[in-house]
Amino acid sequence: MESTKFSPITKLSKEEVDRKWWEIGDFFRRNSLWMLMYCTGCCAIELPPAMTSAYDMERLGMGPMATPRQADVLLVTGYLSLKTLRRVIYTYEQMSEPKYIVGFGSCTINGGIYHDSHVVINQLDQYIPVDTYVAGCMPNTEAVMNGFIDLMSLIKNKKADGWKRYKENYEWYKKNQIDSLGEVQVHDEYHQ
Amino acid sequence: MTNTINNVEFVRNLVEDNYKVNKTEVIDQYQVSFEVEKEEVHRLLAQLRSEGWIQMSYLSAIDWIADNEFELVYIVFNWEKPVYIQVRTRLDRDNPVMESIMPIHPGCKYYEREAHEYFGIEFPGNPDFHKPLILEDWDDMPPLRKDFDPRAYSDAHFSSREYPETHENTLGQESKVAQRESRMARVFKVGKGGKK
Repeated sequence: MESTKFSPITKLSKEEVDRKWWEIGDFFRRNSLWMLMYCTGCCAIELPPAMTSAYDMERLGMGPMATPRQADVLLVTGYLSLKTLRRVIYTYEQMSEPKYIVGFGSCTINGGIYHDSHVVINQLDQYIPVDTYVAGCMPNTEAVMNGFIDLMSLIKNKKADGWKRYKENYEWYKKNQIDSLGEVQVHDEYHQ
Repeated sequence: MTNTINNVEFVRNLVEDNYKVNKTEVIDQYQVSFEVEKEEVHRLLAQLRSEGWIQMSYLSAIDWIADNEFELVYIVFNWEKPVYIQVRTRLDRDNPVMESIMPIHPGCKYYEREAHEYFGIEFPGNPDFHKPLILEDWDDMPPLRKDFDPRAYSDAHFSSREYPETHENTLGQESKVAQRESRMARVFKVGKGGKK
C-alpha cells in the first residue's frame, strides 16, 4: 500500500547511480592525487620547487607515492629511450585504475631536441595514453602547477579517460609498442 | 708534494725510450697522450701499471671514417704522481679486433663491452664482449659509427607528430602587430629605442 504521508522514493537506474558515485569518487580523487614520478628526463628538476615550500603542491592535495600500485598519477618527466619506455609500460600497467598520465616537456609531445635520436621515442601518446601535457623545454614551475590544475579540471569534467582509452584500444597501443620496441618484455642479463 | 712538471718528464722518458711512439702530445701538466702501435699497448699498459698507473679511468673509441680507422683511447691514472696518461692506438676499420686488456685491468670488461656495442670492435680475451650492455634488442649497425644515420633510423622506427599547415585564431584575438609597431614608432620618436 502506498503511503499518503510521504512522496514515493524515485528509483534511479543503475547507470544513474553509478554516475553519481563516480562523481563523488572523482571529487575525492581529484583533491587527493598521489603521484608516481618517473624522473628519467631533465624536466624532473622542476618537481623539487613544485613540491617544496616555493610552490607547495600539497596545498592542491598532491603528494608523492612510492609504488605504482598505490599511485593515481604517473608523471613522465621528459624524454624516454626505448629502454625506459619498456619500464614505463610495465609501471603503467601495474597501476590501479583510475590512473592518469601527465607528460612533461616537448620530448613527450614530439621528441623535442631528441627528435632525430636513434633511441629516443618521439610521441609518448602512441604507446600509452596521455591525459595532459605540460609544454616547454623545460616547462617552468608555474606551468607545471598549471598542468596539475588542468588535470584536476579534466577529472572533474570526466575528460581524463586515458585509462579507458587504453583498455578500449589495447590492440592499437600494443601494436605501436611492438612496432617500435620489437618486444615489450625486458630481457637482460640481470633479470635472468 | 711531488713536482708535476717532473712527472710529465718522467712519463715521457719512460715511454719514449722503451716504445715506438708515433705521436706524443703534452696536453697540460696533468695529461699526456701517446699514440703507439696496436701490438705494444699491452706491454705499455702493464709497465705503466707496475709504475703506479693502477687506475683504468676510461676506454673509448673514435671513428676516423676518412682514414678508415678506429682509434682506441685508454686513459690510466696514478694516485701518487698525478698524471693522466692517454694511450692511443689505431685499428683497421674493416676488421676491428683488439686483444682484451682484462689480464692487466679487469675493470675494463664493461668498457670493452660498451665499445663493442657502439662501434663493433671485437675484444677476444674478454668472455662477454659480444653481450648487449646498454642497448636492448638492437637490430641495426653499431650506432656510434659515423656512417650510421640516426635520423633515418628515428624516422623508420618512431612515428612523428604531424602538424596542420594552417593556423587559426580560436580565441578571436586581434592581431598585435599593429599595436607593437605603433609602440615602437612612439619609442623611436621619443628617444633612440635604447640604442646608443
